[in-house]
Amino acid sequence: MMLIPCPFCGKRNESEFIFGGPVGADRPDPNAASDAEWVEYLTVVPNPLGPVQERWWHARGCGEWVTIWRDTRTHDIVRAPDGPK
Amino acid sequence: MAQSNRLAAGGRIDRSRPLTFRFNGKPYQGYDGDTLASALLANGVRVTARSFKYHRPRGIVGHGPEEPATLVELDGEDASGNRPATTVPLREGLSARSVNCWPSPEFDLGGINQLFSRFIPAGFYYKTFKWPNWHLFEPSIRKAAGLAAAPKYAPSCGYFEARHAHTDVLIAGAGPAGLLAALEAGRAGKRVFLADEGPEAGGGLLNRNLTIKGQPAMNWVADAVAELQGMANVTHLQNATVWAYREHNMLIVNQRMPEQNSLLERSWRIRAAEVVLATGATERAMVFADNDRPGIMLATSLQAYVNHWGVLPGQQVVLFTNNNSAYPVAADLAGAGALVVAILDSRVHVPDAAMKLVPDIPVHAGTVVAGVKGHKQVRAVRAVPLGGGAGAWITCDLLGHSGGWNPTVHLWSQSRSSLKFDETLAAFVPDSAAQRCRAVGAAAGNLTLDQIIEGGEDLPYAIDPLWRVEIADQKGKAFLDIQNDVTVSDVYLALREGYDNVEHVKRYTTGGMGLDQGKTGNINIIGTVAMQKGISLQDVGTTTFRSPYTPVSFGAIGGLREETVLFPYRHTPVTQWNKDNGAVMYEAGARWRRPGYFPKPGEGLQEAVNRECRAVREGVGVYDGSPLGTFELKGRDVPKFLDFLYSNVMSSLKPGDGRYGLMLSDDGLILDDGVAFRLDEHRWLISTSTGHADAVNQHMKKLLQTEFPGWQVMITTVTSQWNNATICGPRARDVMQALGTDINLSPKAFPFMSFRDGTVAGLPARVVRVSFTGELSFEVNVAPRHMATLWDKVMEAGEPFGILPVGSEASHVLRVEKGFLSLGHEVDGTVDAYDLGMGWAMSQKKPDYLGKRSVQLRRQSGHPRRALVGVLPEDPNRQIPEGAPLTPGGRREATEGLITACVWSVMNDRWVGLALLENGHARQGETAHVRLKDGVIPVRVTKPVFHDPDGKLLRS
Amino acid sequence: MSYDVQIDRLGRVAVFDLKGTADAVGAWVKDILPAFPVRPNTRTEKNGVALCYIGRNHWLLRAARDAEERLEQRLKPTNCPADISIVRVSDTLTFFHVTGPDAADVMAIACPLDLHETVFPPDAVTYSEFFGLKALVTRCEGGFECAVEQSFGDMVADYLARATA
Repeated sequence: MMLIPCPFCGKRNESEFIFGGPVGADRPDPNAASDAEWVEYLTVVPNPLGPVQERWWHARGCGEWVTIWRDTRTHDIVRAPDGPK
Repeated sequence: MAQSNRLAAGGRIDRSRPLTFRFNGKPYQGYDGDTLASALLANGVRVTARSFKYHRPRGIVGHGPEEPATLVELDGEDASGNRPATTVPLREGLSARSVNCWPSPEFDLGGINQLFSRFIPAGFYYKTFKWPNWHLFEPSIRKAAGLAAAPKYAPSCGYFEARHAHTDVLIAGAGPAGLLAALEAGRAGKRVFLADEGPEAGGGLLNRNLTIKGQPAMNWVADAVAELQGMANVTHLQNATVWAYREHNMLIVNQRMPEQNSLLERSWRIRAAEVVLATGATERAMVFADNDRPGIMLATSLQAYVNHWGVLPGQQVVLFTNNNSAYPVAADLAGAGALVVAILDSRVHVPDAAMKLVPDIPVHAGTVVAGVKGHKQVRAVRAVPLGGGAGAWITCDLLGHSGGWNPTVHLWSQSRSSLKFDETLAAFVPDSAAQRCRAVGAAAGNLTLDQIIEGGEDLPYAIDPLWRVEIADQKGKAFLDIQNDVTVSDVYLALREGYDNVEHVKRYTTGGMGLDQGKTGNINIIGTVAMQKGISLQDVGTTTFRSPYTPVSFGAIGGLREETVLFPYRHTPVTQWNKDNGAVMYEAGARWRRPGYFPKPGEGLQEAVNRECRAVREGVGVYDGSPLGTFELKGRDVPKFLDFLYSNVMSSLKPGDGRYGLMLSDDGLILDDGVAFRLDEHRWLISTSTGHADAVNQHMKKLLQTEFPGWQVMITTVTSQWNNATICGPRARDVMQALGTDINLSPKAFPFMSFRDGTVAGLPARVVRVSFTGELSFEVNVAPRHMATLWDKVMEAGEPFGILPVGSEASHVLRVEKGFLSLGHEVDGTVDAYDLGMGWAMSQKKPDYLGKRSVQLRRQSGHPRRALVGVLPEDPNRQIPEGAPLTPGGRREATEGLITACVWSVMNDRWVGLALLENGHARQGETAHVRLKDGVIPVRVTKPVFHDPDGKLLRS
Repeated sequence: MSYDVQIDRLGRVAVFDLKGTADAVGAWVKDILPAFPVRPNTRTEKNGVALCYIGRNHWLLRAARDAEERLEQRLKPTNCPADISIVRVSDTLTFFHVTGPDAADVMAIACPLDLHETVFPPDAVTYSEFFGLKALVTRCEGGFECAVEQSFGDMVADYLARATA
């Protein structure tokens, strides 16, 4: 049971959150992207062994969509690899 | 011969409180303060179990959670299975049975397995999985391999509870190191949580005769406990095992027998700022031939039975050791009146300090045990010089052995903190911490009291490890894991067959996979692997320690969550009315309890549903539509947002009007369908299907917060601020008029897909003209505070028109007759709007909206699509099971579709169905075939609508 | 009762949901509101009206039931400007009071929050979990107040009865 830092509420039990998946690529312009680019955007999600940026919804809390970096090996909440985003 | 092995005095038992209990049907007596194990030993019961695989007779080996041999099943009101006898507190009337044996451990028919042991080697399961045929062996293996069966009934004498706790310092273990840590933190004013698995604080001190500054060590323990009790900031629990150490310093404690009526166990989920692991150390076994015979016990356990429980389990004792800890054991046993025949020490040199403790006992240095006489009870042991030789048989009725000590690093390791092998201690000890925790006392490798507390007096520890006895002419099985019957030869076999990683050895042999998790034997397995491979123990490494540290009952994990509150449930203000009026209630999405149908006395489901359907089609019906998800959206950017969210255009709606729409996810799948209304310039109301309300809410919030944070859209969930009674049927307008309203109900003033605010039956209401049945409908929305009143008035006003309440079964029939979608039936993640004949909902005008590109992309591929069609079985009385496959010609070929719904239509007096059928739109009028196990049902393919195809009625 | 607590299910309470920036909301209804709470998940109170700061740009206004119509007339939810949202949500919540010497023990069963007074002071108010459901948790005289979505009210009453049986 992780403790997830919510920017509004502070650290809260994971059970208050709903997992929103890893943060993938930005949505391309659907009228400009090639078929391959569009399929890649839809289907390729980051799944690293190590820090991954992901979203959690504080559904049983303040309602904030929280973005964190989590190390998939340890569950440690870590800093963004390239500095704060 | 009551309690023949009980000492006349001593021990922490209450001799004034005798208790009667039964073991395998026979009555015995023990005392308050006993465990089942100590009471059995006091009564001279030697054979207490049969082993898991070979059904060898076994006795009690340990004195605590490390016990590998004797597992029992408790009968009666607190029935539970697979409990180590050493951890079952004795109580009046306790009734316990051994597991793994039938009819009794003394006479066990499964013992025949011993004769076939060469046919069930390590890896036996894996081999039978592959050849000749697992299914041939499965039934007999399943029967033979089980331990105790799960209890048939829930405990009748109480319940379980789970709660949360938060603390500055969590301390696991109330031995001397844990108590010291608790005193220090408690005095500093921190919030302290101290949990210990035993019934009494003291840890190892309970079992030994040690002193602190010249006083009995237990006096110091009593003082410490008293001081902690006086601190309001300290929670001190006994009978409370810290069994799991999770991420972010979350630990779970199982507390047995809390001081509370009717509570069996309490589970604590504790978040600790800091963790102190004072979990002590566990003695390891020695590995030699027939080291599992009853009467062969851990040396310190013998000491514990004497000092803690006043029991001397035998009269003639031999001790076998490779370290110093057996010497105080010998001294205490001799002091209690036992004849200690000899100490066999595998070390060539025994330290003087140890020798001084046992001046009158023969000590044979450089000697090992290489054989045991006795089957159900040890009668003699063969003492052989370490280098081999004939040796001599020594008669005894008890053998205590000590293979050294392991710091109890289970929790440390569960926290992902690392271990290192300490050559001096010949044990794995804590290295670096991965979370905010530290190990103290024996758990940190400080195995003796003098290292832990100032003034503590103890024999210094010294060991020369012996991972197994290697005497060439040893006969008999040498067990590494007594619980799972894993022998030295099993490990050799695993290594020979290529399983040489310690994790593979574990799984292949099952060594360490029992309920005891190999607490006494694992390191001997690692030592055996290291010796065989010629590498160090550090390089072999340990297997991963996983929770639970000791077995935990499922009840404690579940807590209160059982029976009616096993799953959440939701009610509307009409729930009670439904129950009072005979509704059959069940869950219908998103945890709502809803009426399925309202049978009259003697009426079955189909008759009741037909009656309700006929009322709606021919007269009037009413249902409680409150569970529909409802959201109010506010802000300048709502039109832009809704146009992105829905596949059709919403921004063009005028205040007062609504539109049905589809919501897609960006991969083109249909997420939900619903209706959007424009309340005024900047306020909108959208409704979602009941089951997807939460998902749609999440979807909208995610888009707004992560994709479009600049858009001004504020969403408020109002599902429970609005309840509704939906009045539907040709007489619906009559009922509305009878209720009395200030809204002009004429079709022209109040057309389909619009709403009006006003009063109905004197209540403030918002009336919406939508229809989920295909009939003229008025959805009368009121605040929940008015809902019960509204419902009563509707039933009253509707009575002259024969109004009936309609359950979800009839609603299903009515929507199928109309071909209206149901998510999860017709919409299953493979279909798009075109397949459903709803291409009109896919806006061509909007350059972009969620799912547009993906639907285009998939349609471009040219793969055949399954489309929504109606189906009429050729035999009108033939029902088709929902989900049944359609195959070409009904032949045994790949399916070309499936039946999504099939209902008895009162309007058509026959079964009608909906189906997803390959290329279905072009096949109307043809015959398709449902293929079932017991035959083929020919069906005529039609349009997916069986009533009022032009939708005149719902607009009327 | 193995816990010395009293469980009360409250009747309806007046609640309004306020969204928008503090400036925008304040500009519309400043005169009837208590001062805006500064710290997240705290509340302020004036004349029996509590303003709970429970999310980014999100407040709940809570008052006794009989103040509902008066507040509605002052808040004018249907007329407020586009950049704020005011919705009456009195019916969406069912309130429970858990009070008495063992109130904290019962709360520990239901709620994962640290409710120790040093962490959860008297003016604290926050959304969290109560028996696994989203719930508004705050202190009240002699214990705690928890509000869950109205339709779960019977289930929570059931759960509380089991927890304190």
